[in-house]
Amino acid sequence: MDNTYALEMEEITKVFPGVRALDGVTLRVKPGTVHALMGENGAGKSTLMKCLFGIYKEDGGIIKLNGSQCRFKDSHDALKSGVSMIHQELSNVPERSVAENLWLGREPLKKSLLIDHKKMNADTKELLARLEMDIKPEKRIGALSISMQQNCEIAKAVSYNSSIVVMDEPTSSLTDNEVDHLFKIIRQLRSQNVAVIYISHKMEEIFAIADEVSVMRDGKMIGTYDICDIDNNKLISLMVGRDATLRFPTFKSSIGDVCLKAEHLSAMNPRSFKDVSFELHRGEILGIGGLVGAQRTELMEAIFGVRGVSAGKISISGKEIVNMTPKKAIQNGVGMITEDRRGSGIFPLMNISANTSIASLGEYLTKLHLLNHNRLNEESRRYNEALRTKTPTMETLIQNLSGGNQQKVIISRWLMTLPDILIMDEPTRGIDVGAKYEIYQIMGQLVEQGKAIIMVSSEMPELIGMSHRVMVLCAGRCTGTLDKSECSQENIMRLATKFM
Amino acid sequence: METKKLLGSTKKVVSQYTTWVTFVGLLLLLSILTQGNALKWNSVRNLLIAESVRSFAALGVGMIIITKGIDLSIGYVVCLTASVAASFAQNPDYASAIYAGHTFPLFVPILVAIAAGGAFGLFNGWLVAYGKLPPFIATLGSMSIAKGLQLIYTRAAVVGSLNQNFKDISQGNVGPIPNLIIYVAIAVVIVWVFLKHTRQGTNFYAIGGNPQAARVSGINVERDLMMVYFYAGLLYGIAGTLLASRLGLANSLTANGMELDAIAAVTVGGVSQSGGVGNVSGMIVGVFTMGLINYGMSFLGVDSYYQQLVKGLIIIVAVYFDMKKYARRS
Repeated sequence: MDNTYALEMEEITKVFPGVRALDGVTLRVKPGTVHALMGENGAGKSTLMKCLFGIYKEDGGIIKLNGSQCRFKDSHDALKSGVSMIHQELSNVPERSVAENLWLGREPLKKSLLIDHKKMNADTKELLARLEMDIKPEKRIGALSISMQQNCEIAKAVSYNSSIVVMDEPTSSLTDNEVDHLFKIIRQLRSQNVAVIYISHKMEEIFAIADEVSVMRDGKMIGTYDICDIDNNKLISLMVGRDATLRFPTFKSSIGDVCLKAEHLSAMNPRSFKDVSFELHRGEILGIGGLVGAQRTELMEAIFGVRGVSAGKISISGKEIVNMTPKKAIQNGVGMITEDRRGSGIFPLMNISANTSIASLGEYLTKLHLLNHNRLNEESRRYNEALRTKTPTMETLIQNLSGGNQQKVIISRWLMTLPDILIMDEPTRGIDVGAKYEIYQIMGQLVEQGKAIIMVSSEMPELIGMSHRVMVLCAGRCTGTLDKSECSQENIMRLATKFM
Repeated sequence: METKKLLGSTKKVVSQYTTWVTFVGLLLLLSILTQGNALKWNSVRNLLIAESVRSFAALGVGMIIITKGIDLSIGYVVCLTASVAASFAQNPDYASAIYAGHTFPLFVPILVAIAAGGAFGLFNGWLVAYGKLPPFIATLGSMSIAKGLQLIYTRAAVVGSLNQNFKDISQGNVGPIPNLIIYVAIAVVIVWVFLKHTRQGTNFYAIGGNPQAARVSGINVERDLMMVYFYAGLLYGIAGTLLASRLGLANSLTANGMELDAIAAVTVGGVSQSGGVGNVSGMIVGVFTMGLINYGMSFLGVDSYYQQLVKGLIIIVAVYFDMKKYARRS
C-alpha cells in the first residue's frame, strides 16, 4: 500500500435539471482515519456518496480507489470491492436471523447446494465476538434494538473486509451509551487501517471521533481540515457561510395555567409506559428525556390518541377526554409532529400545499361543504412563508425537499390547525444546523404566544437548551422531573438509567 | 440550446400527461391506418356505449386503488347486481320469470341493484378497514361469495325477457346522444367533485399515500377506507343495472372479467398501484384507451385471440412505467 489515499474523488460534478448538485468536488480520504463529511442538508453530501456507490452517474470527474480508477455499478458492486455504507435507515430482512442477514446472497454452502447454517452461525459468532458485539447469531434481527441492528450492519461491512466504510448519520437513533460503543468499533476499524467516512450533523461526535473533517456547502467543497485546527464555531460558520455563535435562541415566555394533565397513564402493552403523570403549562416547553426504549414516543402517541391506554386520565384545559383519538386531540387544540418524518409525517407524493393543509381541511369549507381550495392554498402558503420553507413552488412534491424543509412543512401543517399544545417528537432529527436554529426560534415564538410544547429529544444539548422543565423516563416509568436550574447532562443521565 | 429546452419541456409534458398522449397517439394512428374511417360518429358512438358500463366499474376501483387497495370482486358483484336488477324487471307474463306474475315499478330494480352493490361494498370495506384483511384476499373471498349468490338466486338460469321501460334506461337517446353516455358524464362529474373538492376525497389520497401520517393528521382511516369500498359498490350496482338494461338479460357470464378490464384501464390511466396517485380524467381516458385498442384491432381485422394478448402486454407496460416513475423515489 504505497498510496497516500484510500479514496480519491477528483473534481466530481453532477448536474440535475435546474441545479448543479455537485460542482467540482474533491474528497481525499486517507486509510486508517475517520474522515468527517459535514454540511447542511442539500449541501451535496448524499449526492457525492451516491456517485461513489454508482447510484448516480457523475457528469464529470474521476473516482480512484487505492490509486486505481474505478466505477461501481451499484452498492453491491462497491461492497465486493471493499466499499460499504451504513445507512441512516436500516436495510435488513427483519424476519431472518442475524447470521442469515449477514451472509445474505453469499451464504456458505454444503456440497455447493445447501446452505451450511452451522458454519454460517459459527462464522457470525466469531465475527461478532471480534467486534465485541453481544449478539446471538440465531436471533431474529427484527427483534433486536435499532442500535444492535446497526451493529449488525457494521459487522456485515467488516465481513466483506471493507477498506472504506461510509456511515450516514449512524447515531441518529442511538443513546449515549450506544454511541460510545459505536465509537469503540469505529476506532477498532481505524486501527485495522480502514478509512471511515462519517457523515453527521452532531458537532460533539465529530470532535470526539474524527481525524479530519471536510465541509461542503451548496454543492462545493469548502475545504478539508485537521480536526485539531478547527473548533465548533469555525465549523458551523464554514457550513452555513456565516458566523454562528448562538446555538439556542433566547425567548421570554410567561408560564401560565395547566393546559394538559396526564394522570397515572399506563399503556395497553404491559412492557410499555406505566403510571406516568405530568402537567404541562401554557407558555412552557416540557422536555421529555430518556434513552431509546424508554417509551417516550409511545407515551406521546397515547396522549395524542394514536394508541390506546389501559389506565389513566388525560385532561385538556381541565376537561377530561376519554377514548382519545387523533381527531379528538386536534379538536381540543393538540398537534403532534411525529418522530418518524417519512413513516408518519409526510405524504411523499402530495405537494407542499396539500401536505400543509391536510389536518385542517374541515376548517376551510364552502357553504356547500366543498373544500375552499383558494383559502387552503393561501393559508398553506402563508404558514410556509412565515417559517421560511425553501421550495420552488407550493405545487412541488414534498419528497423533493430537504429534511429540514419537510419538517417546516409539517410544523406549518400543525400551526394551521391553531393548536394550543404542540407535541414535537425529535423535532430536529436529521436536520442541518441552520434549519435547526430556525426551528428553535419557531418554538420560542410559539411559547411566547402562550402555546405549550412537549418536546421529546435524544439530544442532550437541545433538551437542556430549550426546555423549561425536563421529565425523564426510564423503562416506561417517570424517574423524575428536573427544573431548568437542575438540568444537567449528568442529572438527566442519572434519571434515564435509574432502572438499568 | 433552444431546441434542447423545447425537448426538455416536451418531455415534461409527455411524462405528466402520458395517458392523454397515449390516447391521442392511438387515435391518430388509427385514423391514419383506416384513412379516417374508424373515427366516424357512428363508430365513436358505439365505442362510447361499449365502454360506458366499464367506466362505472373503473371509477369505483380507481378510488379504491388511490387508497392503495384493490378490488377483485367487481366482475361477479356486477354480475350479481345485473341479475338482481333483471329479476325485478322481467315481463310478468314470462313463465320462467323469478317473480312471475309480478310487475314492479321501474325504481325497484334500480334501487335493489344499487343496494346490493352497496352492501357488497360495505362488506368488502369492513373486512379491509376493521377486519384488517389484505384487500386482495378480502375481495377474492367476496368475489366467490358474489358468484355463489348469483347462481343461487338465478338457479344458474338466464334472467331474460325484460320489460321495455327497463331496457330504455340504457337504450334510449337524448337527441343524438345515447343515455349511457349522459350517465357516464354525470358519474364522472360527481366523482371528480368528490375526489377533488371534498374532505373525504382528499383523505383517500392521504390514506393511500401514507396511512400512518393520515391517522396522525386526524383522519378516521378505518371509516374512510370502508366508505371507499361502499362508494365503489354503489357504482358497481349502477353498472349492473345498466348492463342488464343494455343487454336485455343477465346470466352468470355477465360482466365476467370486468375486474381485470377496470383495473387495467385505471392503471393505464395513471392511477398508481403504490397508492395516493390518480385522478378522474386519467381513469376515464384509461377506459377509452383500452376500448380504443380493442375497437381499433377489431376494425383492422386483428384476430380476437391476439387482442387478448396485446391487452395483457399493454397492462404490463403501463405498470412497468408506473413503477419506474414512483418506486425509485421512495
